[in-house]
Amino acid sequence: MADLLILPVLVPLLGGLLATALPVRSALVGTLAALATSLSGLGITLLVWLHGDLGTVLGGWGVPLGIGLSADGLSAALLAMASLVALAISIYAGSYFAGSAQARHFWPLWLLLWSALNGVFLAADLFNLYVMLELLGLSAAALGALTGKREAIAANLRYLLVGLLGSLTYLLGVALLYTAYGTLDIGLLGERLGPTPIAATALALMVSGLALKTALFPLHFWLPPAHANAPAPVSAALSALVVKASFYLILRLWTELFAPIADIGAATLLGLLGAGAVLWGSWRALRAQRLKLLAAYSTVAQIGYLFLFFPLLASLPPGTARDDLFAACVLMALTHGFAKAGFFLAAGLVQRKAGHDRISELGGVAQRMPATTFSIALAGSALVGLPPSGSFIGKWVLMRGAFETGQWWWLPVTVLGTLLAAAYVFRVLSRAFGLEPTPLQFVTNARSEIPALLLAFASVALLGLAAGPVWAILGFGAAPA
Amino acid sequence: MKRDLALLLGILLALLAALLLWALHATLALEPGPRLAELASARLEETGVSNPVTAVLLNYRAYDTLLELAVLLAALLGIWSLGPAPAGYQRSGPALAALVDWIVPLAILAGGYLLWVGGHAPGGAFQAGALLGAAGVILRLSGEPSAGLPGEPAQRWLVVLGAGVFAVVGGGLLASGFGFLTYPPGQAKWLILLIESAATVAIGVTLTAAYVGGRPGSGTAHNGTGQSRTVQR
Repeated sequence: MADLLILPVLVPLLGGLLATALPVRSALVGTLAALATSLSGLGITLLVWLHGDLGTVLGGWGVPLGIGLSADGLSAALLAMASLVALAISIYAGSYFAGSAQARHFWPLWLLLWSALNGVFLAADLFNLYVMLELLGLSAAALGALTGKREAIAANLRYLLVGLLGSLTYLLGVALLYTAYGTLDIGLLGERLGPTPIAATALALMVSGLALKTALFPLHFWLPPAHANAPAPVSAALSALVVKASFYLILRLWTELFAPIADIGAATLLGLLGAGAVLWGSWRALRAQRLKLLAAYSTVAQIGYLFLFFPLLASLPPGTARDDLFAACVLMALTHGFAKAGFFLAAGLVQRKAGHDRISELGGVAQRMPATTFSIALAGSALVGLPPSGSFIGKWVLMRGAFETGQWWWLPVTVLGTLLAAAYVFRVLSRAFGLEPTPLQFVTNARSEIPALLLAFASVALLGLAAGPVWAILGFGAAPA
Repeated sequence: MKRDLALLLGILLALLAALLLWALHATLALEPGPRLAELASARLEETGVSNPVTAVLLNYRAYDTLLELAVLLAALLGIWSLGPAPAGYQRSGPALAALVDWIVPLAILAGGYLLWVGGHAPGGAFQAGALLGAAGVILRLSGEPSAGLPGEPAQRWLVVLGAGVFAVVGGGLLASGFGFLTYPPGQAKWLILLIESAATVAIGVTLTAAYVGGRPGSGTAHNGTGQSRTVQR
């Protein structure tokens, strides 16, 4: 059964190869492969849900010679989110790129990206993770430049180079660990790793490389232009999924592999950078002139919240309170995945319809595209953290944790970030009205509007009203509140 | 002001480099713990090849190599998405043309040799593919606009051949109950040779196509000089 862990990587890889070889049918091949990939990802999640953690070693050599794959609750939660969000993006992309020459370039790269994404979530080997990160970064940058516009190519060339620097820094840390401990398997390494200066250097190198890839303030400079200039389905994938892969890796390495040396001081540094991201990202989102740039800066801020959890996790002993914080951090990451994908897909429809995405000139969009505006409003409420969205619960647990550990200084950051988020979301919504008379039907283009709407809806209802499963799959007790 | 900043940056970078050097030194000074190299050599006989590098790349860590082939493909797809290929260079004079007529077949022959020898000595698919790629680059430089590559449909199949055969073999083994890329005893050698042969062709074609530098098929794209040459030999 654990043999099946390879499927979420293998299926999109085969699909991507076939879509490359058959450019005329790439949309059909791509859609079918997307469906199969999504099913395989959800299947693995279901297996973890039913049977607990899964693990296998490829090639029949066992560790440390072979490469391990493993899926625990954290992997399964992110795999499920990625499967649903990427499926919605694929359906949207089928309509977005229909009849365009970009379709034959989009599908192969998109499936390779998806393969690498699932590969990151399932890998149990530090070098294998490096290969996955390379594939992820390369296909993401190529997809981001797909419009062929000058700004898009410049922004994504920078993204590619920054991503390479991040991967190489990560690889330097891996090389140190291998030299010192003689294995690349995360499980084995965890048993051998002690609080040595070498492990601390490796931690610093690997986390800074990954922080660069996940756009943690002040290493976020490459993200807004790259995400804002990509085609809408690609922006959604970059913001909702690709930055989550490196965040997932930081969370896993920090709380598992490097648990003996990742102390409160280092965690507070990450928390401070996160606080900077929340304030700066939200402020720049509020000042942004364009809808997609606003969404990109909002991603910078939302990544910041995830890092606010680190100092709190570091100062709590194992127990229910720490479990709650961990699950809340994962819940916020999942919610942001759904919400930001929905937001970007909807923003792409606005841009197509209006011919631009300048926020000040968006008057009347709400009446012309009710379903799209509704998606932006729903996703926006999840970004702000209004109840009943998943990020409301996340922020609630975050603030409670800050109270309980006496680290009150994270509270004003969270409150201020939330107020700024409310301001930038309502700034968009307030511009969207103003057309008289209110005409027409709710949905204007089902194939592209429904995926955006479902994603936005999921971020609010699925993860907010039913947060319990997130706690359950991570192996914790009941959700709070 | 700017010079001060540059100086400060330089000092900080030097400090960082010193710190890293110290970490490297400290790591190397450690008691040599368990290493994978001994283990890999100890089980070399079971891998179906006698070159330890090939054993690591195609057997112990075959999954990594499969994804490296996908990385190579993603790079080429990125190049193709940016536009059609430039027209290429003017046709070479008789001396160079005669030399190319010798070098290209020799490079292909040497590639085949490297592929075969990889089973027991330094060599293998990546080295062989690099030689094929070099042959393509030489053809392109000598004024062959297609660099010896076939038309777009065949070229697309060739660039996915390596990862394709690799993944299909892996998936086939999974479906027949051995586990993904777990070779059945006794068949490892031939399966590895099959994968490596496909990978050699794919790597050679991918490197050449990357050098050509744009989407195939449109054939006579104009470069800066506005000349286009589609003369076939």
